[in-house]
Amino acid sequence: MLAALLVQPVLAQQSLAIKAGRIITMSGEPIEGGTILIRDGQITAVGKDLEIPVEAKVIDASDKVVMPGFVEAHSTDGMGQANETNPIVPYVSVMDEINPMDPYFQEARRNGITTVAITPGNSTMIGGQAAVLKTGGEFVDSMVLSTDTGIKISLRPVRGSRMSHMAKLRETLDDAKRKMEKKAGKEAKAAEAESEADSNDTERGAGRRGRRRGPQAADPAAQEEEESDDSKEKETKEEKTIESELDKAMFALLSGQLPAIIYCEKAMDVGAALRLIEEYQLKAKLVLGRECYKAAQQVADAKLPVILDPELVFWEEDPRTKEETKVVLPQVYQEHQVPYTFQVGRSNSRSLGRNYLWYQAATAVKYGMPEQQALEALTILPAKFHGIEGLVGSIEEGKDADLVILSGDPLKIDTWVETTIVNGEVVYEKEEDEQLQKMLTGEDQNSK
Amino acid sequence: MKSMLLLFAIALMVMAPSNRLQAQSDSPTLIKAGVVITMNGEPLSPGQILIENGKIAAVAAEVAAPDSATVIDLGASATVMPGMVDAYSQTGLGTDGTDEITQEITPDFRALDSVDWDQAATKRQLLVGTTTMCVCPGRQAVISGTAAVIKTAAGEGSVLVESGPLLVNLCNDPTARNRSRSRPDGLYIRQPTNRMGVVWMLRKAFDDAKRDVPGAATEIAEALAGQRSMMVFSRKSHDLRTIATLQDEFGYQPIVVGAQEAYLVKDLLLERKYPVVLEPAGTGGIYGDERSELCWNNAGVLAEAGVPVAISGDELLEQARFAVRFGMSREKALAAVTTAGAEILGIEKRVGKIAEGFDADLVALSGDPMEFTTSIRWVMVDGQVFGMDKE
Repeated sequence: MLAALLVQPVLAQQSLAIKAGRIITMSGEPIEGGTILIRDGQITAVGKDLEIPVEAKVIDASDKVVMPGFVEAHSTDGMGQANETNPIVPYVSVMDEINPMDPYFQEARRNGITTVAITPGNSTMIGGQAAVLKTGGEFVDSMVLSTDTGIKISLRPVRGSRMSHMAKLRETLDDAKRKMEKKAGKEAKAAEAESEADSNDTERGAGRRGRRRGPQAADPAAQEEEESDDSKEKETKEEKTIESELDKAMFALLSGQLPAIIYCEKAMDVGAALRLIEEYQLKAKLVLGRECYKAAQQVADAKLPVILDPELVFWEEDPRTKEETKVVLPQVYQEHQVPYTFQVGRSNSRSLGRNYLWYQAATAVKYGMPEQQALEALTILPAKFHGIEGLVGSIEEGKDADLVILSGDPLKIDTWVETTIVNGEVVYEKEEDEQLQKMLTGEDQNSK
Repeated sequence: MKSMLLLFAIALMVMAPSNRLQAQSDSPTLIKAGVVITMNGEPLSPGQILIENGKIAAVAAEVAAPDSATVIDLGASATVMPGMVDAYSQTGLGTDGTDEITQEITPDFRALDSVDWDQAATKRQLLVGTTTMCVCPGRQAVISGTAAVIKTAAGEGSVLVESGPLLVNLCNDPTARNRSRSRPDGLYIRQPTNRMGVVWMLRKAFDDAKRDVPGAATEIAEALAGQRSMMVFSRKSHDLRTIATLQDEFGYQPIVVGAQEAYLVKDLLLERKYPVVLEPAGTGGIYGDERSELCWNNAGVLAEAGVPVAISGDELLEQARFAVRFGMSREKALAAVTTAGAEILGIEKRVGKIAEGFDADLVALSGDPMEFTTSIRWVMVDGQVFGMDKE
């Protein structure tokens, strides 16, 4: 209830107009000297010579560049603990672990990230459910965009061999599949009703409201849906009680309701992942460890969304000769024409640039990725990967007003994020970023 | 005996590499590029560099080259800059460790004896554009030995200085191992286990050297007398102040290395004329090693104040780029990875610039070196090109 009250002001805000030197819309040609109009958190118009409503608050960015807020396709940050000790926990959700006060979110806003898919870690076999969130907000429920993102599956064995890891994974999938088939056979009628409900879900589209969590869902449509969910639950109460939480989550995975977000550590895992996807008819997205470049052709043929390892460039040692060769992941995937996006490495005192999503894109451009494609990989492409391209990823009428105002052209050495806007609300301003100022000047502003 | 060694050391330091690179083709090479950043005056745009016998024979907007010259035309967008100088490196020291772990004071150990040019890490440095490295012994001894200045490509004459700066570690690195591995009742007990112990050992070693105590290594005496440079590795501001305190007591002129908190004591560094070699900085942390308080613009703040700054580490160009992003001027950042290091190491007449008579150490880039989207096309050391296979 508290959350609902706090969400309210966001929706009731005044209209906003941004005068931009250049608008990189990602939905067509850039607009030189254009305006973006925003109302109730959504973009209402974008173009040249727009009439600015008298009541609108105006942000003058006429010497700056405006882009869609960046979308990070995969992060295991922003949580206290990303991995569960128990290896099979498809029913847990990152929603219960995400801490909006985690420095990750501040760092994300500072670097222009407005949307992030937070997933369980890479060390749990079936690690739980991911969610897509906006980076602005103080409560996870007010930040969430979708919980349809998927269930994380890791093919990296933490203990024991890959043989036992895969055996256990298959056993779990087989078990769930058997139960699901049994359920479908015995209760064909119930299954029919279920599938109807499913198709209703898809009609509503884009998944945003589909599994929005919690009773605090902000708009009437979602509330309606919550109610209908409730009544549906009553109808099939008996059945639901026999289904364990684990079964429910596994059924969602096997029915394609929730995609599998599969982490492949090594090239060999790619083959294993593709077999699983085919065998169990999974909807899947691949998170590829750095060594997976050796399976680039398989990845290309599979035509699945691909998220590259944070270490885009590394030196690989031949285990026998100890000779090192430089591996450039963007180059490899570029050659195989795989559409890919980036993730960042964990932020620590040793990382040099890899903790910035824009830097990952700049690195890819350095090694031959066309700049336009790199900008897509920061915005619309990851949005498509998660089925939220109807809401974020470009500057278009009707989309969420998630914007980043840059001091200059993107990917340039001295271009900074000046302002980050989420749902039409300014969530970051460089001028007011005291921590950043301290890091750049060495002087503590507060101690003056 | 002592003076003999001293003379020998000095002789090595000034050893002129006269007849190096015989193995290479004697045919001159002419390089043409859109921009040549010479670090010796304004950049040339466009520029040409003539190379003969591993040396730069001429550099100008247009150079008259002999007909026999091989021409490498990099195109209008390409930039050539001097090969980079890493003034503090622990790369290239073989794989059996960089530290002597049985003693705290080993001033007569020479990093050169452990340098391995065939090591993958050394080759890697070459391909990221570092052509000269000051290879330093590790940080787990209080006085760990003398550094060697080498080219990253093996070859005749690739040692510029055999026994160079003496390395002093005034930080908590010499204590870390002792704290974690030894117990008072164990077989292996080693001092120091705290900072007081580090400074006490330094004082004792300096004092022994000053008093010419039998058995005291000559390297310390040389460094105290200003005949050999001394690099002192410290991160935190209080250690940086201790460097000054010990200077007052023993009278040496240090090169400060590490220096993560140098921005906090920039006035002291400036006043005392300490040149600074910064250890690699990251972009993700608020705190560095020893929980030092980081300033991402440490290099820029120091340079602005007038302190001579060199940047060190495995990714020099990327370090310089982030220094620019965080506030350092482009000119100062380029100097920090070329001329500044050369001057600190006393090899500024040989490397760090593209100028007549200098070693032909170059980095060819696809564009502006100070953009993240610019890549290295190849690297030249003493006239020999590396990493061009992808061209």
